[in-house]
Amino acid sequence: MKKLVIIPAYNEEGGIEKTVQDILSNAPDFDYVIINDCSTDQTLAVCEKNGFHVVNLPVNLGIGGGVQTGYLYAWQNGYDIAVQFDGDGQHNARYLDEMADKLINEHLDMVIGSRYIKKEGFQSSGLRRFGIRYFTGLIRLVTGKKITDPTSGMRMVGRDVIGFYAKNYPKDYPEPESVVTILKNGKKVEELPVQMNAREEGVSSISPRKSVYYMIKVSLAILIAAFRR
Amino acid sequence: MSLKIQIIVAVVIVLALAGIANMVRKEALDLKFALSWLAVGVIVLILDIFPGIMNYLVSLLGIELPVNMMFFFGFCFTLLLVFTLTVKVSKQAEQLKRLTQTIALLEENIRKGAEVKSKDE
Repeated sequence: MKKLVIIPAYNEEGGIEKTVQDILSNAPDFDYVIINDCSTDQTLAVCEKNGFHVVNLPVNLGIGGGVQTGYLYAWQNGYDIAVQFDGDGQHNARYLDEMADKLINEHLDMVIGSRYIKKEGFQSSGLRRFGIRYFTGLIRLVTGKKITDPTSGMRMVGRDVIGFYAKNYPKDYPEPESVVTILKNGKKVEELPVQMNAREEGVSSISPRKSVYYMIKVSLAILIAAFRR
Repeated sequence: MSLKIQIIVAVVIVLALAGIANMVRKEALDLKFALSWLAVGVIVLILDIFPGIMNYLVSLLGIELPVNMMFFFGFCFTLLLVFTLTVKVSKQAEQLKRLTQTIALLEENIRKGAEVKSKDE
């Protein structure tokens, strides 16, 4: 069974080495690919120096287009399982085997690494938690499914969903919307408790000023996804 | 409308039409996109030369001043045009994204092929 870790990286020169080391030592069964989304810092140089496996986007596409490139790669290269994994040290590779086992044994289409089942590790700030809880409620309302961590960027999918995401993936702020889309298509999604770390490197793509726009845009996207067939 | 203004408007429009036609000729502007602008130019030119049409339309629609009708239709046309462009931009963003992804993956493929080859040698 071929398994791939997709690492979207935009200006992650400080965290990318550690991330790859973490995967190589804690999830050796997985291949990995870094999607360098036209970083303006030394991300590419760091990758080349270390001989990391990297796909270089010639134009900045944003998180959605970047991650989708990873799914395209997984689809074209016959991977059975693909998992998204942040390049900034927030995620821990030691959970990847457990996630894959859950995906296979329970015949699921997606397994999300959730911070909010056991409520251990880094829990994000209060206001963000509130926003995440709101999305949990909204997704439950439109799909009937409780996703405790809908903004988690740590998510593993099977071959079906790889193909689906290779074709359609939201451009910006894709996490909550893409879960709703596949739930609406009758796919099975479950969560696995994980611990995440506070961001060590880089800055969040969602600044306070953008968060209002984020809430409105993602809410609308979820509602539209709920009515799309 | 005074004859003087009529002539000025006609000259401006004819110049604009000629300019658009010239851009199409030099392939700086796609005929497909120039068409709507050419149509607007021709319509305004006709209304300018035959003000009777305008007065008739104004009384027909119950609009008090001819100039209000111009503003109204001008505004509607602009909205439509801007919206069409927004749709176009969305589509092109999608196409651009696909192109970028395809190039990136091809480039990776070539690099991988070159590495395998250099190892073989």
